[in-house]
Amino acid sequence: MLKINNLVSGYGSVQILNGSNMEVKNQSIVALLGGNGTGKSTILKACSGIIRAWKGTISFDGEEIQNLAPHKIVEKGLVQVTQGKDVFPAMTVLENLRLGGFVLKSNIDLKNNLEKVFNYFPRLNERKNQLAATLSGGELQMLCIGRGLMSNPKMIMLDEPSAALAPQIVMDIFKNINKIRKDGLTVLVVEQNVRMALLLADYGYVIKDGAINVEGDSKKLMYDESVKDSYLGGGGTTANV
Amino acid sequence: MFKKLRLTSKIENALMLTFTLIFLIFISISPDMNLESLKGVLIIGITVGIIYGLVAVGISLIYTGLDVVNFSHGEFFMLGAFTGLTVYNFLIDGEIIYKIFPEAYGWVGYVIGLFLAFVTMGLFGILIERIFLRPLTKKGGGYTVAGMGIIICGFGLSVILQNVAYVIWDPTAHPFHADLGLPITLGGVTLPMTYLWMLVTGFIVAGALYLFLNKTKMGLGVRAVAYSKVVSNLVGINVPLYISIIFGIACALAGIAGTLVGPTYQVVIYMGYIILLKAFAAAVVGGFGSLPGAIIGGFTVGLFETACAFFISGSHKDAYAFLLMIVVLLIKPTGFFGVQVKMKA
Repeated sequence: MLKINNLVSGYGSVQILNGSNMEVKNQSIVALLGGNGTGKSTILKACSGIIRAWKGTISFDGEEIQNLAPHKIVEKGLVQVTQGKDVFPAMTVLENLRLGGFVLKSNIDLKNNLEKVFNYFPRLNERKNQLAATLSGGELQMLCIGRGLMSNPKMIMLDEPSAALAPQIVMDIFKNINKIRKDGLTVLVVEQNVRMALLLADYGYVIKDGAINVEGDSKKLMYDESVKDSYLGGGGTTANV
Repeated sequence: MFKKLRLTSKIENALMLTFTLIFLIFISISPDMNLESLKGVLIIGITVGIIYGLVAVGISLIYTGLDVVNFSHGEFFMLGAFTGLTVYNFLIDGEIIYKIFPEAYGWVGYVIGLFLAFVTMGLFGILIERIFLRPLTKKGGGYTVAGMGIIICGFGLSVILQNVAYVIWDPTAHPFHADLGLPITLGGVTLPMTYLWMLVTGFIVAGALYLFLNKTKMGLGVRAVAYSKVVSNLVGINVPLYISIIFGIACALAGIAGTLVGPTYQVVIYMGYIILLKAFAAAVVGGFGSLPGAIIGGFTVGLFETACAFFISGSHKDAYAFLLMIVVLLIKPTGFFGVQVKMKA
């Protein structure tokens, strides 16, 4: 579904990614792991067109997308879900979700998708007329994922869905991500919470210094020593994995 | 991150209230004070206020959308007035309009003038944004060095547009004789028809803007882009297009305001500069970046200015708006709607 080939990119003149290769298969959940500042989010930003690829290609559904404008990429069905803090706080939950369906042409689609999202997250239905600013951290994350689903995507990329949330809520959100995959979507999840991410995913990539360091089946990665190394920059003994 | 919901400090509010009370007591002991004059001041103040409000909304819109203060905004007001005047004079001179509307040629011509000033300034604004500001906003916009460039560019653009108007219309003052009928009496106050047009059209335009922003899909997109361009990109909004739309709407509002003000004074190429500063004061008083705040700020500045001009001294009329702005900045720096309308990541 998504194929990243020798991707080089960065911010301004600072290079972050030094030739990353990745592949996300249809209807799978793939975890992209790595410590702070290794380039996880940069890969997502390059995929969603926020920053440009300097070199290399990103193809989605058989088409190269690295030169498309961000809204065209959303129209193609590749949506990035940011962390919960990136909602529009001065708008209601419903307006936030409507914005998620901005690329939809018809109102019927919008209504159907709204129902679908409320099905995944009934809590959003209860709070649909509240300002997004009044939601709790978990609800914000639900809203962000819900907003991502509004545009009928084929694939969603989640940027740290577990950031700053209680374990109970993380479990709940991860269950829903699994449900979303079962309904036919492909999921790429960027995480710092390695254990949770690998429990959820089928396949994992570990990024270090802007390039993929280790990859493999998620069951295998869970016991891989080099994953711990990647997190601590090598030589660590008590990695939080 | 949700500081926008922060309750404004009680001390700030108490000080504002004290200032308002002192001001009200001060004008109520004025020898000119009576019910008639009070009514007059209220009506004129609101009328002038809605015009300040419309221009201030434009400044606030551009501030939220492009992250810069547009210092050339007054020139769109001036060009709008000239557009309205030219269209009106063309229609009246052409005599076709007499034949079709023998009774009401004046206001038909004026409405067409208003409409064309709105549309022309909107399109012209989009053109200016695409040619002059786009290369700068592309480099990072308001909070970067490029943002400083845009502000300077705004000053330069202001001078350039004034000179363009100089070439087309020459620098003499043009009278705008809109034939709108005899003055009418509203609740004991005699009001020229031009003021009534300002009042009614101003409210219609402000209401239409409110409906546009809150009830339409495009309005939703405008609000989203105004809050965060990155997140707007991620939900699939064509951000560059919406930045143009925001600039266009802001300029169209200034244009229609120009044609509304034209008949009350005269149309001259320097008229943009003072309205820019007054609208700036209105935007600051209302809370910079807040759209309802800009309209409320416009009313406040308009009422304060008119009251001071009437009860204290009319010869320093232009100073009062800035006096109010300074007082508000000292007491309540965030303005009335002092919300953190947008946050940067």
